[in-house]
Amino acid sequence: MKSINKLYIPLLLLVAAAGCKKSFLDRPSQSQIASNNFYQTTTEIRLATANLYGGASWWQWHAGPFLQLGDVLSGNGTTGQYQGTDNNELFAVNLSASNGVVQSAWTGLYNIIGQCNNTILGIQQYAPASVSTTDKNAGIAEAKFIRGLAYFYLAMHWGAVPIVEDNSKLIKDPFLNRIITLDVYKFIANDLTYAAQNLPVTDVAGRVTTWSAQGMLSKVYLTMAGLNGGGTRNQAYLDSAKKYAANVCKNSGKTLFPSYYDLFKVQSNDVPEVLFAYQWEAGTGYGNGNTLNNYAPSNAIMPKKGGAWASMKPTYDLYLMYSNKDSIRRKATFMVNGDYFPELNAAGGGYKATGSSMKKHIVGNDIDNSSPLMDLWSSPEHDAVLRLAEVYLIYAEAIMGNNTSTTDPEALLYYNKVRTRAGVDPLTTITLDTLLTERRIEFAFEGNYWMDLVRLSYWKPEKALKILNGQNRAFFNYNAGVATPDASPVVSVLPATASSFTLQIPASELTANPKLAEPPVPYY
Amino acid sequence: MRLTIVQKTVLPFIFSCLMLSTFNSQSQEKTGTKKITGKIIASADNRPIPNASIAVAGTKTAAVSSDDGQFTIDARPGDKLVITMIGYLSQEVKVGKLNTLEVRLEQNILKLDDVVVIGYGKTKRKDVTGAISSISGDELRKTSPTTFDQALQGKVPGVVIQQISGQPGGGVSIQIHGISSISGSNSPLFVIDGVIIPPTNDPGNGANPLNTINPSEVESIDVLKDASATAIYGSQATNGVVVITTKRGSVSPPQISYDGYYGYQQIPKRLPTVNLQQLATFLNERATVWGFDARPEFANPKYLGTGTNWQDELFRNAPQQNHSLTINGGDARTQYLFSLGYFDQEGIALGSKFKRYSVRLNLDNKTTNWLKIGTSLQLANVYENVVSGGTSSSGVISDALSLTADIPVKNNDGTWGGVTNTSGWVNPVANPVASALVNKNVNYRYQLFGNAYAEVNFTKDLSLRNEIAGNFDFSRNEGFRPQTTYGKYTTPDPTSSSYSSGQNFYTVLRNYITYNKHFGINNNFNVFVGHEANLSKSSYVSASRSDFPSNYVQSLSSGDPSTAKNDGTYSHGASESYFGRINYNWLDKYLFTVNLRNDGSDKFPPDDRWAFSYSGALAWKLNNEKFLQQVKDINELKLRIGYGLTNNQNIPSNTYVTQLTTGANGLSGTAQFQSNLANPGVKWEQTKNTNIGLDGAFFNWRLNFSIDVYDRHTDGLLLKIPLPRYSGTTTGYSPGAMAAPYVNVGSMSNKGIDIRVGITNIQKKDFTWKTDITVSRNINKVLSLGPGGDDASLVSSNSKTVAGRPIGSFYGYIYDGIFATAEDFKTHALPADQSGTPRPIANAGGGIWYGDRMFKDLNGDGIIDTRDQTFLGSPLPKFQFGFNNTFNYKHFDLNIFFSGSVGNKVYNQLPVSQTNPLNNTNYFTGVLNYAKTALINPDGDANNVNNVYVTNPKTSIVSLRNDNTNENGRFANLYLEDASFIRCKNITLGYTLPQNILTKVHLHSLRLYANVSNAFVITKYTGMDPEVGSWNPLEAGYDGGRYPQSRVFTFGANVKLTK
Repeated sequence: MKSINKLYIPLLLLVAAAGCKKSFLDRPSQSQIASNNFYQTTTEIRLATANLYGGASWWQWHAGPFLQLGDVLSGNGTTGQYQGTDNNELFAVNLSASNGVVQSAWTGLYNIIGQCNNTILGIQQYAPASVSTTDKNAGIAEAKFIRGLAYFYLAMHWGAVPIVEDNSKLIKDPFLNRIITLDVYKFIANDLTYAAQNLPVTDVAGRVTTWSAQGMLSKVYLTMAGLNGGGTRNQAYLDSAKKYAANVCKNSGKTLFPSYYDLFKVQSNDVPEVLFAYQWEAGTGYGNGNTLNNYAPSNAIMPKKGGAWASMKPTYDLYLMYSNKDSIRRKATFMVNGDYFPELNAAGGGYKATGSSMKKHIVGNDIDNSSPLMDLWSSPEHDAVLRLAEVYLIYAEAIMGNNTSTTDPEALLYYNKVRTRAGVDPLTTITLDTLLTERRIEFAFEGNYWMDLVRLSYWKPEKALKILNGQNRAFFNYNAGVATPDASPVVSVLPATASSFTLQIPASELTANPKLAEPPVPYY
Repeated sequence: MRLTIVQKTVLPFIFSCLMLSTFNSQSQEKTGTKKITGKIIASADNRPIPNASIAVAGTKTAAVSSDDGQFTIDARPGDKLVITMIGYLSQEVKVGKLNTLEVRLEQNILKLDDVVVIGYGKTKRKDVTGAISSISGDELRKTSPTTFDQALQGKVPGVVIQQISGQPGGGVSIQIHGISSISGSNSPLFVIDGVIIPPTNDPGNGANPLNTINPSEVESIDVLKDASATAIYGSQATNGVVVITTKRGSVSPPQISYDGYYGYQQIPKRLPTVNLQQLATFLNERATVWGFDARPEFANPKYLGTGTNWQDELFRNAPQQNHSLTINGGDARTQYLFSLGYFDQEGIALGSKFKRYSVRLNLDNKTTNWLKIGTSLQLANVYENVVSGGTSSSGVISDALSLTADIPVKNNDGTWGGVTNTSGWVNPVANPVASALVNKNVNYRYQLFGNAYAEVNFTKDLSLRNEIAGNFDFSRNEGFRPQTTYGKYTTPDPTSSSYSSGQNFYTVLRNYITYNKHFGINNNFNVFVGHEANLSKSSYVSASRSDFPSNYVQSLSSGDPSTAKNDGTYSHGASESYFGRINYNWLDKYLFTVNLRNDGSDKFPPDDRWAFSYSGALAWKLNNEKFLQQVKDINELKLRIGYGLTNNQNIPSNTYVTQLTTGANGLSGTAQFQSNLANPGVKWEQTKNTNIGLDGAFFNWRLNFSIDVYDRHTDGLLLKIPLPRYSGTTTGYSPGAMAAPYVNVGSMSNKGIDIRVGITNIQKKDFTWKTDITVSRNINKVLSLGPGGDDASLVSSNSKTVAGRPIGSFYGYIYDGIFATAEDFKTHALPADQSGTPRPIANAGGGIWYGDRMFKDLNGDGIIDTRDQTFLGSPLPKFQFGFNNTFNYKHFDLNIFFSGSVGNKVYNQLPVSQTNPLNNTNYFTGVLNYAKTALINPDGDANNVNNVYVTNPKTSIVSLRNDNTNENGRFANLYLEDASFIRCKNITLGYTLPQNILTKVHLHSLRLYANVSNAFVITKYTGMDPEVGSWNPLEAGYDGGRYPQSRVFTFGANVKLTK
């Protein structure tokens, strides 16, 4: 008996022990799918590209820098005189290399580029033959459109930047040189050209189409045209800008949304005028959603009645841009004392403004938007990056080209569509100044104005500097139709210089890769 | 009383000496044997020693002492009685004429016959070939620690221990023989009764994953340091192994003992914040310079009081108590130990709390003469309230330092006080007292932890052990945060409640065969081979809702259903190993050990899953050589040499493929976010370890020491590599960035020496004084960092890691005073704008002016930019040491223990903002010494650089000018401080009640003690606590206002009941 036990029990246990199968060590994640098992159908490819339209991928750029660079740095407004050093520096156009907003902008844009790169490579590597080439290319085209957009922002703010196409190559060699600005623009144009050729003519609301890509191309070429300076623009690039803009204006079948004011309501998300907008979703938690609603002037109009951190205030300089007749765009862009907004906190009787503050992106609370999950971290607004109205103005500007003014009927036609929609009188002559002002008014608080100034600085740096240094960035009080700017200067600052139009590479990035301090190199 | 002590201690001693030295003439020589009765007592405290074995040498006659130490045995005169007892030196007594004897046994601390735990077995200390340090449970408990790992500091040579957070039950970082891994986990492998706790990564929030273990239940801790000791644990043991053995039952009548203490804790140091008058005066001066921000309420500072001291409001003297009851005993067949523990600690910061209930049952049963079975089981319940909900992530402590003295804790109407100043630049800060009291963030842990084994002895030499061990951990977090308004600040989120629950199951199945054989008297072989498979599974679910009707109903069901959110994950991991060891002992002089192990892990791509570890060691017992055997003063002298290669797999699962995470999106469908950058080529990290050690004991053990010299060389360092931001990856928190890839980046070296010396300075009959000293010295150096050559660097925060320097060295500018004279503007470079043009010298915004800080232009290019940074020191200590003194005088015992750290730098972050005049939260008093400018010609131009000077040029605090073009706060050596310290970790005074009193109250023994932990710290560091531990070696030494370690006063008792 004893000896049997002696043999039997240990043998049993030894068998149990030796029984580990080879697959015992195969432990794929049970909570996340791995890329080598994904991109198997068109649906899966579209789930991968959906990620590039909003959410965490765009968050760091969108939550701060997008408006802080586009509208605070350019003098349209600010959240407060001394709201931290970062903001102070933006408002004073005196950015240091350690500025947090500059760092988030850089980080955020490269975050989305990384997502685009891996999506492109994932589709190329793992999509099986059963998925049609058209669908694969359309997926890649979506990613290239968005990558092109992100590089466009990088080029506009920093000029020469490193180009990353395959992030995994950085594992072996992380130290890239900056690429000369012209080559960065060429890279952008290549991406957008691919997108224009491979994106469909129509798609579900919110997805980009070939018209989105062509509209973006016209903007990129218009920018490139001024790149080499000297007071004139490159005619070949102007022609390209004109060609693509004309195509969108005339052949896309898209029209302006009838009401400028209603265009910025959540109900108007992704209307045909919008060629590309971030696809935000409510209730996604910190780090994933649209936070622009937090610039609201009062907790009363916030979802769950909290989170109105610091309102975004317009400057007196911006106020002066609007003629009396331009009240629709003014009221859709910023509120002044006494304005009444029935749609904000509608259940509570609307909101009556007591001071001046940004109105665009302020969409009210969760009930106003029938969005119970909406909170301070996630507004359901799909804010537009590229609107048809902008392509109209680009078309007009490309036609004007190197002339000081134009009365070209085609240019006037599209230019005045933008004005008449806003309820202001059409113009009979377009000049560079009217164009700049029109763009500033039409797109105020849409993150565009700084880039308009940078574009101008490429070929007319003195003019761009003159505009910047001539601004009255004071806040104002509005009473009975009269705006009075604050007497004391907001910040006593030294004037901006030509180098102010190029941001510094973030200090931490320079420490991590000293090669970024070297002169940029060609890419092509 | 005095007489009693004399009677009880001195007299028996003299008496026993007499007994030992004289012979009993009345022996019954006719029959040869006579009955001898006696008593065994401990020489240290005169307590009777039960269960000691008394044997007549050369015969089978033996006896065991009873509970009061009495024994009876038959022996012949001239016989030798051998008295042995675990924990005491054995003693031989010659039977003489007396029929009664009293034998005094000396306590044996770390002597040769001590059993030391080695991997998968035990051996006698004298036969150890590897570098192993041991510490007994009694030694451990002297500091009344909350968790056992806190108590190891300064006690174990070669181990650097730093407290990460002083919150109750907070985390500790442990590095054995330096930092060999830069992936963030240098924590050793913990093996608790055979249950392997994989090396811990940062659980976040300063928490401690080991806090369910009750220190009262620990019998001993063995720290395995070199490869020859650790290789048997294979892939998880590269950073050393800490083996914890819990107490077990013994063959004895039931013994009931109670250990308990009650104490209170206080904050040892407060930081110098300004009071209300100082604040008002300062802000008035600043408003004059700024031209705005004059606050009417501060118009007359002299009429203001001192205001609120937020540190006084947040910190308190907090109680803590510990009670533990143990019953153990057993007969020859079954031994048992049953123990109950209760620990309750309030934190010194309001609201923080830690509570632990634990039950342990350890059983051993000799079922048949060939089978032994047993189990170790622990049930534990931990309740932990982590104070949270401050304005920033560092929470209430930084909030307490940020709020100004003009704000009341509570307003007159009973609402919470807060910042009411409406100026946009005055940042709202949450009220820390309210945060601590109003918010709930409670962790509950229920843990079932233990093993069951069966041991089969086939023959005397061959045995098989099967073991199944596991850790079943259930945790739950409950949070409730009411939306609260503090002045102008309303907490951003609506009132919300959250609930999360997790399960972590870890099981290991282990089988090994041991063969132990003597060939002749001079050859002893011990061989074992085994197999082990680990499987871990975990799942997690969480839910939350907002908008609650009342703060009194906090369950999810009462929140708004439309705000419901939930989340959940599963994960699993596995590893499998084959291993074996050969021990060979020749002539009891030469000892050889060989370890082999093959490990497979799921963490690597399928074709690179298995890794082979090995080690070999040789020990030479010099004292057993003929030429030394004669030297009486040498009790032990052993030379140890070991070499081995171990592999490390300390990375998360599935890093070799890109993982896609579901995210909500305005487009239809579940968008797939790529959450990591994959590295398909990731491989095992390898460490080669050489260790040479010398153990010695002299003069009848009064001097004993161990010295180990080691060289650890790690290749293929696994690192979650911090790439430049343009990679779209991050190693930390950065929304939208992919997790950085794990890469084998380079190699690193750790060389060091550790020394332990134990001396019995004085050993008199009434007085002993013993000193133990440990010193650990480690030199860390990164040898290479892979691609990029010498330029390759890892930058994390303001720390930079490069080849040729220690990991995570601070990197920044060299501070060179402030601009105080016109001459300074000629001798010092200025920062430049984007185009490289120096910023102008001007008083207006955008210029550099008097009172800005000067930095050294290290590259001499005439401007200050990132190229002027340099290495500023290391956060790694040069030495850590422990200095322990134990005094026994009659019934009193006194222990004084110092531990310290020398030569490490800490970045004291709080003063950076709190002495910055542009800051708009609270200030330290240092700000009052801001740079004050004056005009040389009072009627001259205030903007003329030649007409201005600074009246206090020695200050390092910038002026009140409202501009920061100079980036005065750039990381410089100004706030980098030497954090060397000597901490009086522990003072304990104990008194053991004399036997005669105890007998009357039917107690076996009773010791009362008083203890002060963290009594005082000697340091030049100006922050709260110089001990700044970190989970991440790439970014260590940052003190941003952490939860300080408290000073604890404790009163306690150790009681043993008779039966």
